[in-house]
Amino acid sequence: MLPTCSLSRPVSPIPARRVRRIMEDISLWLAVLLFLFVQPMYAEASAGAGELRFLDSPGPGLESATLVSTDYQVEVTGLVADVRLSQTFRNPGRQWREAVYVFPLPAKASVYGLTMMAGERLIRGEIREKEVARQQYAKARSEGRKVARVDQQRPNLFTTHLANIPPGESIAIDLSYQQPVRYQSGEFELRLPTTLTPRYMPGKVVRDGATAWQGGWASPTTAVPDADRISPHTVLPEDVAAGSHQATITMSIRAGLPVSRVSSPGHQLASNWNGNSVAVTTSAGSFAMDRDLVVRWAPARGMTPSAAVFQQQWQGESYLLAMMIPGLESDQQMARELVFVIDTSGSMAGESIAQAKQSLLRGLDTLGPDDLFNVIQFNSQTASLFIDPVPASGNNLARARRYVRSLEAEGGTEMASALDAALNQRKSGAVSQTPDGVQRLRQVVFITDGSVGNESALFQRIEQQLGDTRLFTVGIGSAPNMYFMREAARFGRGTHTAINSRSDLERRLAELFGKMQSAVLTNIRMEWPDASAQQSARPHRIGDLFRGEPLSQVVRGQAPQGDLQVSGILPDGSTWQQSLSLEQAASGKGLHRVWARQQIDALLDAHTLGKDPQAPARGDIATRVTALGLEHDLITPYTSFLAVDRTPSRPESAAMAADSVPTLLPAGLASGMLRYPQTATLAPLFQALGLLGLMFSAAIGLLKWRAL
Amino acid sequence: MKYLCMLTTVLSFAILAFGLWIPFKALVAQELLELAWAESQARQMQVRPWPWADTWPVARLVLQPDEDGDGSRQSLIVLDGAHGESLAFGPGQVVGGDQNAGPTVIAGHRDTHFRSLEHLETGATLKLQSRGGQWRSFRISSTRVVDSRYHRINESMLPRDSLLLVTCYPFNSIEANGPLRYVVYAEAIGSELAAVVES
Repeated sequence: MLPTCSLSRPVSPIPARRVRRIMEDISLWLAVLLFLFVQPMYAEASAGAGELRFLDSPGPGLESATLVSTDYQVEVTGLVADVRLSQTFRNPGRQWREAVYVFPLPAKASVYGLTMMAGERLIRGEIREKEVARQQYAKARSEGRKVARVDQQRPNLFTTHLANIPPGESIAIDLSYQQPVRYQSGEFELRLPTTLTPRYMPGKVVRDGATAWQGGWASPTTAVPDADRISPHTVLPEDVAAGSHQATITMSIRAGLPVSRVSSPGHQLASNWNGNSVAVTTSAGSFAMDRDLVVRWAPARGMTPSAAVFQQQWQGESYLLAMMIPGLESDQQMARELVFVIDTSGSMAGESIAQAKQSLLRGLDTLGPDDLFNVIQFNSQTASLFIDPVPASGNNLARARRYVRSLEAEGGTEMASALDAALNQRKSGAVSQTPDGVQRLRQVVFITDGSVGNESALFQRIEQQLGDTRLFTVGIGSAPNMYFMREAARFGRGTHTAINSRSDLERRLAELFGKMQSAVLTNIRMEWPDASAQQSARPHRIGDLFRGEPLSQVVRGQAPQGDLQVSGILPDGSTWQQSLSLEQAASGKGLHRVWARQQIDALLDAHTLGKDPQAPARGDIATRVTALGLEHDLITPYTSFLAVDRTPSRPESAAMAADSVPTLLPAGLASGMLRYPQTATLAPLFQALGLLGLMFSAAIGLLKWRAL
Repeated sequence: MKYLCMLTTVLSFAILAFGLWIPFKALVAQELLELAWAESQARQMQVRPWPWADTWPVARLVLQPDEDGDGSRQSLIVLDGAHGESLAFGPGQVVGGDQNAGPTVIAGHRDTHFRSLEHLETGATLKLQSRGGQWRSFRISSTRVVDSRYHRINESMLPRDSLLLVTCYPFNSIEANGPLRYVVYAEAIGSELAAVVES
């Protein structure tokens, strides 16, 4: 403006005029330059309004993300915990939103209820076949009705879809589930997972154009076709808005016997005794959802239970749950061949690998002079320290310790080759014969966080190659895949444990190595008095039992009368026998769901292994599981919960954005995934600022000049 | 008033000079890096371009290879690491090793070296030269914009023979720490052949 105006003014004496002319020219050019630099700023500002939808992230563009908070209401009765899990989704944006949230549940959880609470309204969910639920969800979503759907992706991994969250409002999803309480070595344990360790997806990426990169960070692969559905984005706690990803818990424990202490390895608990029940909550109020919450309680001294029976009537059928703890105390003196397998994949980086190494070193300490051992590490490749297992001599142990200390975590999690190496090391089978002619028991200790997507393929491998070896799993990290730990150990005829923190490590490992060295009860049979009910007893085949572990079975159609006969064979060949009177059965809750869940697991096992000639065909399994799910209101791989609001709330004209809610990176885990680096400089900003300033001062200078 | 005017002028010049210094430095550094690259290729070792540098050239990247010969139109020397220091002088290699195994991720500044990423189109070829002198060609299979607040580069999920170029987005923004990144995804040409040889 200014320079152009000045051109029309009368002229001054020649030298000054020429200088002024030059100055005016310069400022004109500066103005043009400034315009060039300012233009991008406008471009950026106008793009912010809503043109960023071509973002690959299905997320909310640059709007603030959906907030999620969780509340657990846990009621423990005897050996079953009944949990009401409430997830609240808050939409802080100005647009209607659909939230997709992948979350973990305990591996043995049976989800039996869903309620959606939108403001004052309470909408009860119903169980549907998965495909039907999906269609009804899509329909309600497009009609603008509030709708929630919960699917099972893995036995311990679920997805909530929640559509039509109004701008600025929250919707709560209440899930009811029950889970068995783990009882071992005189201690009850309940684990509530809150996040998941990012899982490795083996196999080749199936490139499917636009659909790849949709829900999660991983694309479907040949080995894990649903990789994108089980890999939510993991973010650091500082990346989520304040107040998001926080959980609260209220827990009441009615163990049925006096409880002496309640503890947790990772959280500070506040407990209140009230008669026979204990109320437990975290002392801090809310806690970040970046690690599993583990609560342990022990019966008062001298009150350690040795057996328990619960019964329930449901739809005219009687359900019975029996639990028994055989007192196995004798130590076995047999020489062993121990193979340690340690996961050194990228997901173990940080605190996990330190714990894993410490566990392995602790394991090396338990070796006796007659034992053989080997150490195998795996990430993208598998490497073993010795070609064949070597005697546990001082020299070899020192070498192994050095090797273990030097391990570092990076790369993928190709677990299959590690299993092959550990299980197949000597074809001759479990009781290995070495040149010295000593018979040895083969045991494999598998130390991992289980963060893989192809669990069932691995279980199949274990089952096929196991021979007489026993596989023991040690779960590492703040959020290990406990489904993998438990099932791998079950297929491997061993047992599992999990380490939550270094302070917890010593005790858990002492327990595990104690079990490995002690007597094992095999060939266990539980004889129910009612022969027709015997058929429905679940689990049908009971695995082997280690010291301190309980024996439990749930049965349908058995009246609470008569005696239950339990027998097994001890390592020395002698028979162990015990009987339990069913008349003293206490009344329990949700036993039918425990039974249904066990029944479903048994059917799906046949599906996983697919080699049992007696197993029904695949399609048949799906129908039977679906029927069980619908009958008992349970989420299964084939049934989902759906809650639909009857009246539409979103006007047709309003658009809806989908937002994948991230999960927190488990505590202590070094992010295996790289952050995108900072790739812009301050140069354009400085250039624009410099030019603007120059322009300003030139204008003032010219004005003053003119004023002279 | 006069002093204020003077001060504004001087300050503005300083800021402008600083703003121009960054691209200038980026331009000049590439020339110096050419020398270091030539030396490191000749001696097959890490050569620091200047004694106090905390990075060294690891590869040469050609964004628009000229098919007629080696008269490549835009050749960049890639440095090790993607910290602020190295990115000021050249694109930085975040992931990738000398053995040509595994994926390679290269990040560069939007305002300087990787400005031309904007004009790269799907199907175009890129060339990367390792210190050993071998050239590898890549074809751009896709470009995408990601939000760095929600996305991470998951190294273990990338195919072995892939190349990722990362820079900030939008290209004409003046904001220096925006969350968006522009990612160019390229796959090696002839990777099937390599696979056959390996097996």
